[in-house]
Amino acid sequence: MKNKFLLLLLSLVPLCVVAQEPTSTNIIGVGTSRILDTYINQEKYSGIGLTYLYIKDRAREEKRWNSVIEHELDVSSIKDRSKDNQLMEGNYYLYWGRYRHWQLFGDRLLVQAGGLANLNLGFLYDTTASNNPAQARLSLNLMPAAIATYRFPLFGKQFALRYELNVPLVGVMFSPNYGQSYYEIFNRGNYDHNIVPTTFVSAPTFRQMLSLDWRTSEKWSLRIGYLGNYQQAEVNNLKQHVYAHRVMIGIVRHFPNSVRP
Amino acid sequence: MRKFVIIWFLIPLFSLTACINEEEFPDTAQGNFEALWKIIDEHYCFFDYKQHEYGLDWNAIYNIYKVRAREETNKYQLFEVLTDMLSELRDGHVNLYSAFDNGRYWSWHEDYPSNFSDTLQRRYLDTDYRIASGMRYQILDDNIGYTYYGSFSNPISDSGLNEILSYFAFCNGLIIDIRGNGGGDLINAEKLAARFCNEKTLVGYLQHKTGKGHNDFSEMEAQYVEPSSNFRWQKNVVVLSNRGVFSAANDFVKYMKCFPRVKIVGDQTGGGSGLPYTNTLPNGWTVRFSACPSYDKDRQQVEFGILPDYVVSQTDDDFRQGKDTLIEFARKLLAE
Repeated sequence: MKNKFLLLLLSLVPLCVVAQEPTSTNIIGVGTSRILDTYINQEKYSGIGLTYLYIKDRAREEKRWNSVIEHELDVSSIKDRSKDNQLMEGNYYLYWGRYRHWQLFGDRLLVQAGGLANLNLGFLYDTTASNNPAQARLSLNLMPAAIATYRFPLFGKQFALRYELNVPLVGVMFSPNYGQSYYEIFNRGNYDHNIVPTTFVSAPTFRQMLSLDWRTSEKWSLRIGYLGNYQQAEVNNLKQHVYAHRVMIGIVRHFPNSVRP
Repeated sequence: MRKFVIIWFLIPLFSLTACINEEEFPDTAQGNFEALWKIIDEHYCFFDYKQHEYGLDWNAIYNIYKVRAREETNKYQLFEVLTDMLSELRDGHVNLYSAFDNGRYWSWHEDYPSNFSDTLQRRYLDTDYRIASGMRYQILDDNIGYTYYGSFSNPISDSGLNEILSYFAFCNGLIIDIRGNGGGDLINAEKLAARFCNEKTLVGYLQHKTGKGHNDFSEMEAQYVEPSSNFRWQKNVVVLSNRGVFSAANDFVKYMKCFPRVKIVGDQTGGGSGLPYTNTLPNGWTVRFSACPSYDKDRQQVEFGILPDYVVSQTDDDFRQGKDTLIEFARKLLAE
């Protein structure tokens, strides 16, 4: 029944076939960040964050598998509910994905499914603490991932609606032990469960992006969208989460007939 | 293949509903009291030791102070109640910071004579003393080197230490005066101590908490001081201490006690052997507390201070004569 409904919905939109082509995307975003890290503090912090995202999609029609590389840089300045205490947060994420793709509904819908490796490097710095004020972030995750892109014309223009979802499976992450100081780790070399294996249970991290592209020319599209990056972990009796919500805007460069971007 | 797809895509989808969160207390007098009690309960590192020493019972303290943190309490009264509760820990590393006051327990030095006077010290340093790496230094009349280091927060450089020790190279001995040094960076303490040992020396042990329980601790990890590859002092040394020697300065005394040519003279140190962390309450006040304990080379606590090799106190007679009893004692000791 659901499939029939979807088919009906899609058939209402005029046919628009666009060949699958490599793209590179540069987008920036602004939005809210909500952060908890019980190693630093029991209190939750929230504030404004900025994101830069670069996506290189090497999709080619003639190949069943393609790779997508994404570089995401997040920075936030956040305060606790009293507004007296401030944290600075910075995270870099590298996503390298391999996807199998299918073109459905007369090539209007492109579905990509596969997996990606995610490397995260980051920090959290408490500007009010004098001792042990920082927390480092380092993790490597294997994440199932899928992208759906639906292309359609509207008012004589070409548009594409794109949704990407990355969900957690397994990984490893760095974490100090519950009360372990960075002085012990880095100055004394005393390690204690600092590299921790994670699963989708202990680190239910996921990320989604919904965007709309307006093809303004053969080579360029304007993209607006929403990026949600929800990093979570509970290891070594410590809890942490970073919920980043961003409104994104940027440009997509298309490489029709292509030369590799 | 189907199993693989299920594992790969469907099982992780369950995690989309998972949420890692932490209990949040309301920003009320009772909420701030509960938050503070819980932070200390889960992170403070000396409960067991202090229960043995003077009967500290953190659960009993909850019941005593909970009734004082009533909802009608204003912020000044609440601050007093919370500071009183923290003072039960008898720890100089435990503080409560607000915009209007710093809650503190300073009995570890306020209840004892200071055994230090900068008026007397000026007679020894004179006005032509040198300053390097945060230290004031001078050669005394009897060819004894004297250096005063007031805070381990002052950065120490290798070149600065080389200059100081070279300046004292022809002296008969060295006095390192750290009276009133309330601590700072442990790395500075290690860097200075490394100039007085010739081999890798066991100086103590470190531990950290591994969970919320009062006795959830890691194994003790040995703490060593390794000899500096720069200029190292090979003659006798006296370290002057008093009750104001705390935290990283307390650790420095702990290190120096392990070296054969070093003697500690003065009063017991103030202690403070826990590495402090900070946390905040719902109303924004910051609490500092001891989180990682350290021990001496015999695995004994030094939280309440380290006894000197020679207990010496400033006398009134010497004071009247403009003499610093501890410096005079050290000079005699080094002349022997």
